[in-house]
Amino acid sequence: MPDSAGARRPYLQPLSRSWWLKHSFFLRYMLREATVLPLLFFCGCLLAGLYSLAQGESQYQSWLAFMAQPWVIALNTLLLLASLYHAKTFFELFPRVMPLLPAPLMIAGQWLGTLVVALLLLWLFGAIG
Amino acid sequence: MEKTLIIQRYNPEQDQAPSAKRYQVPFDHSTSVLDALLYIQQQLDPTLAFRWSCRMAICGSCGVMVNKIPKLGCKTFLRDYPAELTISALDHFPIEKDLISDMAVFLDHLQAVKPYLINDSNSAEPHRQTPAQLKKYQKFSSCINCGLCYAACPQFGLNPEFLGPAAIVTAQRYNLDSRDQGKAQRMPQLNGKNGVWACTFVGFCADVCPKQLDPAAAVNQGKVASATDMLISIFKP
Repeated sequence: MPDSAGARRPYLQPLSRSWWLKHSFFLRYMLREATVLPLLFFCGCLLAGLYSLAQGESQYQSWLAFMAQPWVIALNTLLLLASLYHAKTFFELFPRVMPLLPAPLMIAGQWLGTLVVALLLLWLFGAIG
Repeated sequence: MEKTLIIQRYNPEQDQAPSAKRYQVPFDHSTSVLDALLYIQQQLDPTLAFRWSCRMAICGSCGVMVNKIPKLGCKTFLRDYPAELTISALDHFPIEKDLISDMAVFLDHLQAVKPYLINDSNSAEPHRQTPAQLKKYQKFSSCINCGLCYAACPQFGLNPEFLGPAAIVTAQRYNLDSRDQGKAQRMPQLNGKNGVWACTFVGFCADVCPKQLDPAAAVNQGKVASATDMLISIFKP
């Protein structure tokens, strides 16, 4: 009797490092995950700000000057856009994980919450009102 | 009218790796990818190997990659594609021959979550269920085990030990059933490092599911269940 198991030779499909370039769905996923990178820069900026504040006024002034440079502002603008994109994807996924209310209502609620917190912070730091 | 199907062929007795072969197939408005494969097998090349059975998206046998997206052959129509389309075996599974995948890993994972009602009561009475209790799990009960979600899941591609979307959906389906008492037996699988926490919510499984049952939602609701289970086990004497 022929050995049927011995005749088998399944081909193992390799998963290339560039699997995420295969189509737009994976690209959007990687973009979502990559939004953490500009956030790292922002966290570094904040920590440096706190540290320089503890070092004294001249240090703090030079940190302020660093933050006002065009390329720093550009990077932080990129960060803001990346965070908003991440928020959008997060707000859309949340109702699927915890379906408490109809999804459109939960998404709108989260954006409303973001707006309220943003306005509150702007008011606290004296940018408005 | 004709379209060109570029099909990945692999003969384990001769080939070291799959290679593409082109076929011209006539089509009309109702020609599915499965119809086209059957045409090739019957008219052009009887050596072409693929799985199929019901032709109506319920048996889950005819899953293939169509232009790199996992699809059921019977539910995908040539009319929706340009003049050429590529067909290959499902991603992330070993290829047995041509378009036939070895689904053993998936079936092992499915078996591991005990996909059946576990109930110790020996009563001969039927287990009654209210419409509200039915609604809790009904949306997760339509899985046909086609494996498209595994072909869509890069986490399963990277780590074949990951339980994967369909197995976790099915575990959730039974855990949420009021007639079932097997949750405690399933949770160790879901809580483990190859359970729900290996999912990063890529979400492509939900897009490709031919039954629209959102496996990604089920897996991530499984994370809530897993976290609750852990908290309870901490405080339980």
